[in-house]
Amino acid sequence: MPGTPKAEFLQSVREALGRENVPPIEAYPRLAETPSELEQQVAQMRQHIEDNLPALLDKLAKMAALGGWRVHRASRPEDVIEYIETLARDSGTANVVRSNQDVFNQIPLDATLTNLGLTVTTVLRDETTTRESLREEIRQSGIGITGADYALAETGSVIVLPRKGLARLISVVPPVHIALVRAEDLLETLDDLFLLRRLEYHQQGGEMGSYLNFITGPSRTADIEMTIVEGVHGPKEVHMIILG
Amino acid sequence: MPEIKTQDFTAASTAAILDPKLRRALDRVAEGFHVARLDRIEEVTQDVWDGWKDQAREIKVHTIENLDYYLELLDKNVTAAGGQLHFAKDADEANEIVAHIVRTRNIKIVTKSKSMVSEELGLNPVLEALGVEVWETDLGEYIIQLAEETPSHLVAPALHKSKEDVAALFTEKLGIPYDEDIYHMAATARTILRDKFMEADLGISGANFVVAETGTLVIITNEGNGRLCTSAPRVHIGITGMEKVIPSMQDLSAFLRLLPRSATGQRITSYVSMTTGPRRSDDEDGPEEFHLILVDNGRSKMLADPALREALYCIRCGACLNICPVYSRIGGHAYGWVYPGPIGAVVSPMLVGLPKAKELPQASSLCGACREVCPVNIDIPKMLLDLRKKTAESPDSSLRSAPEIERVLARLYAKLMSSPKLLKMGVKFGRFAQKLERMTPVFSPLTTDGKWIRNAHIPILSRWTKSRDLPTLPKQTFHELWEKELSPDDS
Amino acid sequence: MTANAKITADLFITCVVDQLYPDVGVSVVRVLRRLGVTVGFPTDQTCCGQPVYNTGYSQQARTLAKRVLEQFKDSEYVVVPSGSCAATIRVFYLEIFDDDTELLAEAKALAAKTYEFSEFLVNVLKVDDAADCGAGHEGTVTYHPSCHLLRELGVKSEPQKLLQSVPGLEQKELEGAEICCGFGGTFSVKFPHISEGMVTDKVANIQASGADTLVSCDMSCLMNIGGALNRQESAIKVRHLAQILDPESE
Ligand code: SF4
Repeated sequence: MPGTPKAEFLQSVREALGRENVPPIEAYPRLAETPSELEQQVAQMRQHIEDNLPALLDKLAKMAALGGWRVHRASRPEDVIEYIETLARDSGTANVVRSNQDVFNQIPLDATLTNLGLTVTTVLRDETTTRESLREEIRQSGIGITGADYALAETGSVIVLPRKGLARLISVVPPVHIALVRAEDLLETLDDLFLLRRLEYHQQGGEMGSYLNFITGPSRTADIEMTIVEGVHGPKEVHMIILG
Repeated sequence: MPEIKTQDFTAASTAAILDPKLRRALDRVAEGFHVARLDRIEEVTQDVWDGWKDQAREIKVHTIENLDYYLELLDKNVTAAGGQLHFAKDADEANEIVAHIVRTRNIKIVTKSKSMVSEELGLNPVLEALGVEVWETDLGEYIIQLAEETPSHLVAPALHKSKEDVAALFTEKLGIPYDEDIYHMAATARTILRDKFMEADLGISGANFVVAETGTLVIITNEGNGRLCTSAPRVHIGITGMEKVIPSMQDLSAFLRLLPRSATGQRITSYVSMTTGPRRSDDEDGPEEFHLILVDNGRSKMLADPALREALYCIRCGACLNICPVYSRIGGHAYGWVYPGPIGAVVSPMLVGLPKAKELPQASSLCGACREVCPVNIDIPKMLLDLRKKTAESPDSSLRSAPEIERVLARLYAKLMSSPKLLKMGVKFGRFAQKLERMTPVFSPLTTDGKWIRNAHIPILSRWTKSRDLPTLPKQTFHELWEKELSPDDS
Repeated sequence: MTANAKITADLFITCVVDQLYPDVGVSVVRVLRRLGVTVGFPTDQTCCGQPVYNTGYSQQARTLAKRVLEQFKDSEYVVVPSGSCAATIRVFYLEIFDDDTELLAEAKALAAKTYEFSEFLVNVLKVDDAADCGAGHEGTVTYHPSCHLLRELGVKSEPQKLLQSVPGLEQKELEGAEICCGFGGTFSVKFPHISEGMVTDKVANIQASGADTLVSCDMSCLMNIGGALNRQESAIKVRHLAQILDPESE
């Protein structure tokens, strides 16, 4: 493989800095934290969220709307299903693709959508479905429905992590994306999220998972004359349904 | 590396400034981004904003001061996550690494999401020479790729193109009917690129940040092309400058707050995509291979120079361009290389070599607006001044930015101003020169109307009077007035 | 006003005011005296060195800076009717002498007692009403905050505060006020096309403001803007803040 060997490259960096091959003189506080310290911080963070849940859900709804989500709040699973039914009917699509996350056990919507005459594809690989056939199904779908690993009140973002049964393409490829958010998915700030991920990283023996994706509003561009166009490569229409 | 045209700054900027279309485009961007940025700061309050800035700067200072350490940590963690980290000392090496991957992995189609570093490396021509199809997928980048141009702004690469330009370009290159509806044009790009995303075997992205602690690459986009480039093809290569590393994932908070607000005035972009290694066995999609290429390509020169080191803190938000009264008149191409605007006037000379770009640091009124908006508090005017020092008096004539006469004048000026007596004589001489006109109008170096010099026929001053008048020297200096009427000794 | 009777301030008048705008210097003296300040003027002074420093000639700048250190070493206060030259003394001298402990100490001492004119009035003399200096001005005025005053010294509200309290004066808002006028020292003759573009926009905004007078705290910016206004045969006058505050100024 071409390129400069690591040792040589790092040596040239050290020479530029006039530095010896030693750790930073002042250790970086964050990197020095132990998992149990992180655990404590996470516990505090969780407590704070629990204590302020209604206000934080309101904040999530507000920031999500500012970020371009069409926000719908629901108090019962039936409301969620009913709302999705309307969206599906209005969209005129024949195919819906959804992830295979936990949230769909709580909100069973397949029957309703099938009754509307829609084909519902669930991301579930088995002998007959390959990654390639799945990708094609996603491309044919007018709506992609996913859960959220987390939802961030600070930014109005939905966070998705790799889970079995969740393809990233579901939230990017179809023109409409619906994200289902439950109260227990809520985090307040970016710091909360990264703190939590760091703890999990350590708990899982240094495994971060292959991706961590933020979604905040529709895909958009302003590359021609600063005119905002929604739905460039990703969805034009994004719905966040908050249950709780 | 792409063609270096920094030597032509004066000619290029002179032409650009006369282009009313460019000016309108620049105004649109500057206004749009700038106003939104101010709104976002007001929303969170200046104090909170300043706190974020300080945090971000502190992180950058610490990381850059210990860069070797964090690169090593990054390498360890990229590897642990199943990826490969490559180091490239210059553009050729970086391009060669990509070429090697392309050849050995039998790559035919490449999709790219926006990467300034790949522009800096001149990667596309290298890939094309290998017979690979290369598709820029960010709409702005796609436009300039079709037009065979270079970006003119760090975040809005095609800002210099009007919708009519783009429509004509699409007609010419894509063979579609002329249609200047912006929504239709975006849809055209979407349709063409959608297939490419799915067909591509290699996705190339830049990186806004890379996290040493976890080996994670972070890209921030609005269109969703970055996510598609990094998850659909079977190989993903991230290419970025070695300065983009940050220690911990938690350090991202400050940057995710600052970057979108500073760049486009958004609270956050539509997509933040963080990838760590290739897909795991359980993942439903994602690349089989992940490579990260970190390039030096002249950055260690900035690192080695304490006066310029802070240029490496830059997060390429473009705020300094949007606010700059020089950039907003001449646009990005006049700067003659990949990085335009105030930060470009520091970075380009360091990356292409000061002798070729020595004019850039001169082209600033040092008004300080760039420093005021910079989310990592980079003191750009100070670095421009430092580069001026390096070019003004260098013993190496290839570095000197001005003709010999300027050095002579600088010395003369210091002499004159070091001696009140000489200065007095100088002023007398000046008054005499002003009167010459009345005596010998034909040979007079100045055309005056008593109060104003309307036209100077001598070097330097003539450059001033081309567009402005200059006051004539009054009958008395303040020194003379003080001695005559103001000094307490007189009263 | 007697409160200031014990204050002695030495003027660093700047080369631009000395040679091109002596009237501004006269107004500065009158205003300070009206406020009870004992005004001094070390007559050996010339230029702070900024033109050479900004062009990259640090040796020459150092020569001139040393003279200033010498001439003002015993001053109680140094008042400078220019944001830019005050910034040179307060900010850039510390860079110029950062390799010399002794001179750096002197530069720091000088920096600590050096004030731009408006700053000195508001923050040292505690003037909160321009009427204290007998100011009165019939007319409409707009204010251009010069870049170095604003961004190197952080002086933003002081000139505004003084202007607001001038009896009879009506302030007009200036669009794009904080955008550089395009002077920038030698920049204006090295890149006259860019400088011209900048001053043209500044002039357009000034004309749109509806003011009959443009006020600033830097004569070099006013020389640039005034020169462009005159070229366009505009009737708008340019004045240093001191001239507005000085009732005897024409
Ligand atoms: S120098 Fe500062 S303002 Fe300019 S692009 Fe870099 S981070 Fe942004």
